[in-house]
Amino acid sequence: MSKNITQALNIRGALRRKRSVMKVAAIATAVATVAVLSACSSGGSGSGSTSAAAGNATKGSITWWASPITTSGADPRTVLISDFEKKYPNIHVKLISAPNDTDTNRATLTTQISGGGGPDVFMGDVIWPAQFGAHQLAVPLSKYLPKSYWDTFANGLVAGATYNGEVYGAPFFEDQGFLYYRKDLLAANNMKVPTTWEELVSDAKTIQAKGQVKYGYVFQGANYEGATCNFMEFLGDAGGTVLNSKADASTLDSAAATKALTFEQSLVTSGVSPQASSTFQETQSMNAFSAGDALFLRNWDYAYSTSQASGSAVIGKVGVAPMPNFQGQPTPGYSNIGGWNLYVNPHSKNVAADLTFIKWMTGKDAQTTLATKFSEIPTNAAVRSSSAVKNANPVLAIVSQTKLIARPAQTPNYPEVSQAIYSNVNGVLAGSLTPQQAIQKASSQINTAVKNGGL
Amino acid sequence: MTSTHVAAPARSGGPHLGERRKKDVYRRTMARLGWGFSAPALLVIAAVTIFPIMFSVVMSFSNVNVLGSGFQIDGFTLDNYSIVLTNSTWQYALVFTIGYTVITVIVEIILGTLIALVLERLVGGRGWMMAMLLIPWSLITVISATLWDYIYDPIAGVATQILSVLGFGHPVILGSPASAIIAMMIADIWKTTPFVAIIVLAGLVMLPRDVYEAAEIDGANGWKTFWRVTVPLLRPTIALAVLFRVLQAFGVFDLPFVLTQGGPQNATTSLAILGYRAMFTDLKFGPGAAVATTTALLVVLGCLLFLRVFRSQVSETEM
Repeated sequence: MSKNITQALNIRGALRRKRSVMKVAAIATAVATVAVLSACSSGGSGSGSTSAAAGNATKGSITWWASPITTSGADPRTVLISDFEKKYPNIHVKLISAPNDTDTNRATLTTQISGGGGPDVFMGDVIWPAQFGAHQLAVPLSKYLPKSYWDTFANGLVAGATYNGEVYGAPFFEDQGFLYYRKDLLAANNMKVPTTWEELVSDAKTIQAKGQVKYGYVFQGANYEGATCNFMEFLGDAGGTVLNSKADASTLDSAAATKALTFEQSLVTSGVSPQASSTFQETQSMNAFSAGDALFLRNWDYAYSTSQASGSAVIGKVGVAPMPNFQGQPTPGYSNIGGWNLYVNPHSKNVAADLTFIKWMTGKDAQTTLATKFSEIPTNAAVRSSSAVKNANPVLAIVSQTKLIARPAQTPNYPEVSQAIYSNVNGVLAGSLTPQQAIQKASSQINTAVKNGGL
Repeated sequence: MTSTHVAAPARSGGPHLGERRKKDVYRRTMARLGWGFSAPALLVIAAVTIFPIMFSVVMSFSNVNVLGSGFQIDGFTLDNYSIVLTNSTWQYALVFTIGYTVITVIVEIILGTLIALVLERLVGGRGWMMAMLLIPWSLITVISATLWDYIYDPIAGVATQILSVLGFGHPVILGSPASAIIAMMIADIWKTTPFVAIIVLAGLVMLPRDVYEAAEIDGANGWKTFWRVTVPLLRPTIALAVLFRVLQAFGVFDLPFVLTQGGPQNATTSLAILGYRAMFTDLKFGPGAAVATTTALLVVLGCLLFLRVFRSQVSETEM
């Protein structure tokens, strides 16, 4: 019997030893974790602010993170890099091709930069300055570049890249919403280019009734950022706003916003726009227009070149005009500002070379190449108004005639604000919300977001 | 040593005592060697799973600020949890994820078992059938989700065409909450039913033949044989399949991310999508970590509960 007791005691002893080993291992892991975590916490930034950038301004090797700018033909990124390296032979630029989806792009960048790494210069969306500035994920370029530099840009662009008095991004190329139309169909029906939404709807209904085209007006209404861009245009036309001047409260709950959203909904319910508009991003609306199925298209500036590329059914049949407004309002209507800025990573080792690169990319040569060879809207004011650029394509010719409205990106919580707008707009287009419900929901979600209370 | 009358293992004294002791020592040495050899691999696994999990749990209890210089983690606070638990989107995501898991797993188990039963009867060509069936399972989820996106496309998608031919008009499948959810479930079931079928098939072929002979002698027909003999014997296998599938389905991310980006008005926002959005889009790592921690806790608790119920059921049927 004692043998069994001894055995039992041995087993118990072994178990106890094993349990204590496990306990020690668990405590060790916990201690190690806490130790590492406390090492991770920093007391905030505190780098010295000098106006002379570190590094060598004419020599070095830098990385440039940029998503594809065009979808076909020559790659503007490589063309610009080789032109830059001809001018500055001692600076080598390595291109890192970034994801196409702007949200994936941002998520990858924030992960890399907060981890201490990341590219030296990155091309980022125009809606990032507030979020990136608040989280110190980009260098405040206004610390190194003088006011004379910022004055070379077209109106409104530098303000859009400013947060808390510092400019975080250098506007690289700009984008806007344009109204593309089938000039052949309008001419065949003796109609002129519409300048009001009411005119656009009646023209569309007439031509659709005749069976000459499937859809009247195609735009972007899917559950993503693009829906915010489209809605901002309707909202501006109706006279509404999203945030107050201090960006700490929502001003969306208004008759203007309801009017804008009711109109957007009526486009779908009346059949002028396809039911599928609630799933349309740029690609789908572009495809519908290039296939000849739509009379009017709202899209960015690249759409002209795409509609004239081989394979399109509307070559030679497309015109471009500024966006329409509501009847009784001054024309033209509002175009939402898009585009990309160049930012500098706070961990970059050669900020001076980064600034040389940025200054060249926003200078006369690069901006002219972007405009004339690749049909992008330059941000450099002088280049934008030069005749060479204006004659390059019909889109660039009318850039000076458009009226611009920015998205409410002055708050670091902009992604949540945008989500509040686009998810509720999408709900209305899909038929599961009324415009009043959507505006109220969006407004309360925006209030939660700007008070930093959301998820 | 006198042997006892307790029904203990027959390790009491006797002529073979020395050999038994040697076997014990040998077994213990082998065990230690095993631990030693697998230690490096276990350390790597611990580093990439245990450390991030603990990091996430700590973040969920602190104020986290993402800065260019690193993560700023300070304080102890329950604010993140109160933000999460009172958030209506999270509450919906919880209900949606649980409902999604329950429905898809039930359908997959039923379909998978049926497929396995058929496969087991196949004499020739079983290998080919299994290879074909495994194609959906072997596709990367993002790729299969993109393919389903094309199928559900409201202008040119096959599903839309079929539905319009059947007289449903021009449905925008991914445009309204109800149809988007059903469409997502179909895509998921298509992909993971083969997995269940393979597991159940493995269990089926291991079933003892004599039980079936006994049932035949007793005069049981096919249906009774299935319910009274096959299913009880298959219980452990099916439980394993259920466990795997619940763990995977609870974290569904790829499908809603590709198909609907969280769905018409957050209708297909699962807990994983919500956590991703909170952390990587809104840069709110504290609440995001709270979402992740609560999700993990729920899954673990669910599985433990399931195992407990399953074990008690098994011990009931064992005579």
